[in-house]
Amino acid sequence: MRMQKILIIEDDSVISHELSNLLNNSGYEALELQNFENAIEEILEISPDLILLDINIPYMNGEILLQNLRKKSNIPVIMVTSKNNETDEVLSMSFGADDYITKPYNPNILLLRISAVLKRSSNSIDVVKYKDLEVYMKKGIIRKDEQEIILTKNEMIIFNYLLTHQNKIVTRDELMTDLWNNDEYINDNALSVNISRLRSKLKEVGYENIIETRKKVGYILS
Amino acid sequence: MKFRYFLKDKIYFFITFFIVYLILLLTFFAFRIDFSLIIMTSFLFFFFAIFVLLFEYFKKKSFYTNLLFNIEALDKAYLVLETIEKPNFYDGELLYQALYEINKSMNEFTKNLEYQLDDFKDYIEMWIHEVKVPISSLVLMAHNHKDKFDYKTLEQLKRIEDYVEQVLYYARCENAEKDYLIRKVSLNKVISNIALKNKNDLLENKVDFKVQNVSYQVFTDSKWLEFILNQIVNNSIKYRKKENSSIQISASEDSKKVTLTILDNGIGIPSFDLPKVFQKSFTGYNGRVMTKSTGMGLFIAKNLCEKLGHRIEILSEEGKYTKVNIIFSKNRFYDPVK
Repeated sequence: MRMQKILIIEDDSVISHELSNLLNNSGYEALELQNFENAIEEILEISPDLILLDINIPYMNGEILLQNLRKKSNIPVIMVTSKNNETDEVLSMSFGADDYITKPYNPNILLLRISAVLKRSSNSIDVVKYKDLEVYMKKGIIRKDEQEIILTKNEMIIFNYLLTHQNKIVTRDELMTDLWNNDEYINDNALSVNISRLRSKLKEVGYENIIETRKKVGYILS
Repeated sequence: MKFRYFLKDKIYFFITFFIVYLILLLTFFAFRIDFSLIIMTSFLFFFFAIFVLLFEYFKKKSFYTNLLFNIEALDKAYLVLETIEKPNFYDGELLYQALYEINKSMNEFTKNLEYQLDDFKDYIEMWIHEVKVPISSLVLMAHNHKDKFDYKTLEQLKRIEDYVEQVLYYARCENAEKDYLIRKVSLNKVISNIALKNKNDLLENKVDFKVQNVSYQVFTDSKWLEFILNQIVNNSIKYRKKENSSIQISASEDSKKVTLTILDNGIGIPSFDLPKVFQKSFTGYNGRVMTKSTGMGLFIAKNLCEKLGHRIEILSEEGKYTKVNIIFSKNRFYDPVK
């Protein structure tokens, strides 16, 4: 799978830089917009998969940029702003933003929002393949040939997250954030229990030890 | 305007009148004027005095009674000049003129203050948006360089963020006209945001966070509601029990309202403090003993609730629980929109 390009449009260089670090570490290709004067042309030339757009940028504000961009392109846009009010949010969405997140944001939540928007825009399918398993996200089922195992909602959220970050270390905090983001407010112990149940269910279909524990860091799905 | 006091005010008139009348009588007697002429002159003399007095009294009475009555009736007494007619006697005109000038200078003064206050509020709002930029940078840096920053940094950053947010909403709740937007909001979504925001605090302090039955839609401003709930949840975390602490959020609905309930099993609020928790700068026994508290959180929350038309109530038993209800009334006016 090719790396997805994310364009950061943000005039504060520290944030812009840290944001691009964050995205690069999370498996995206981050680009920072350098030239705000001809923003639209630049964007179209780069043609990113997603844009993180700050409202307060030089030359024209983010909302106007978004309006102009929407006349030419449907690239998903997440508005990032320090203005925390409903009117701005509604306005941005009406100009065609796909999501709206306010500063200061929790980096894990930002990443979740990004992957949600990307997933929506790519019309992701319900079935995902993992080795010789078929994973049915919405039904909460993993199928191997004729054999079916049923996962609980929590187990599915965890497995899905590990799957989309395959071969990368996933921290407990990331898993926890994803669970809480899906309204499953579980605690530390419950997370451990869910992971061990998930492991034993995967063992039933012949995949033992595919979820490894990295001590003090997190988990990795091989 | 009382006639008695009016007469009292005219005392110099009576004294002069009686002296003049006395001199006149003496003169009449001295010249042995005919008795009937004396009576007739006296009658005219008194008639003239009474007529002048009554005429003046009624003219003034109508103006002053009107003025005083309107001052009493208006909730903004300084607008009284707009409600009365300009009087047609000299001292009334002077009074009217004086009031007019006083009013004008006061108006200018308050207008000035209003401008200053607006400027200050605008500045505060702008400043908050600006200060959020370095806070965001710090959060990102802490996240990207976990080797240099530890969990405690993030915890302190969140505290800064919460305090900054509090200032923003304080500025907003005082002049709320411009930035709220009532829309249909799903309680589920708001609670989910609050949970995520406080996730680390809740997990770190081993608070059991439960949410049940909150799939209701209410009319509110979601950002404001988030702030209000955040204050309440923060309090629940701050004043938790040492062990087995829990926070339960639930909601219920009847034909007239939706009630959102936040129940914790924390240290509770002493009954003598309970009626005062929504007062500005009230810290109470817990606030003084347990942690440093500004006493602004619930005050702002209550204020915002009032602006949005929600009711907020708090019930507690010391050492057992604290329960906060937020009541969203339903309005059939909105039904066609749904």
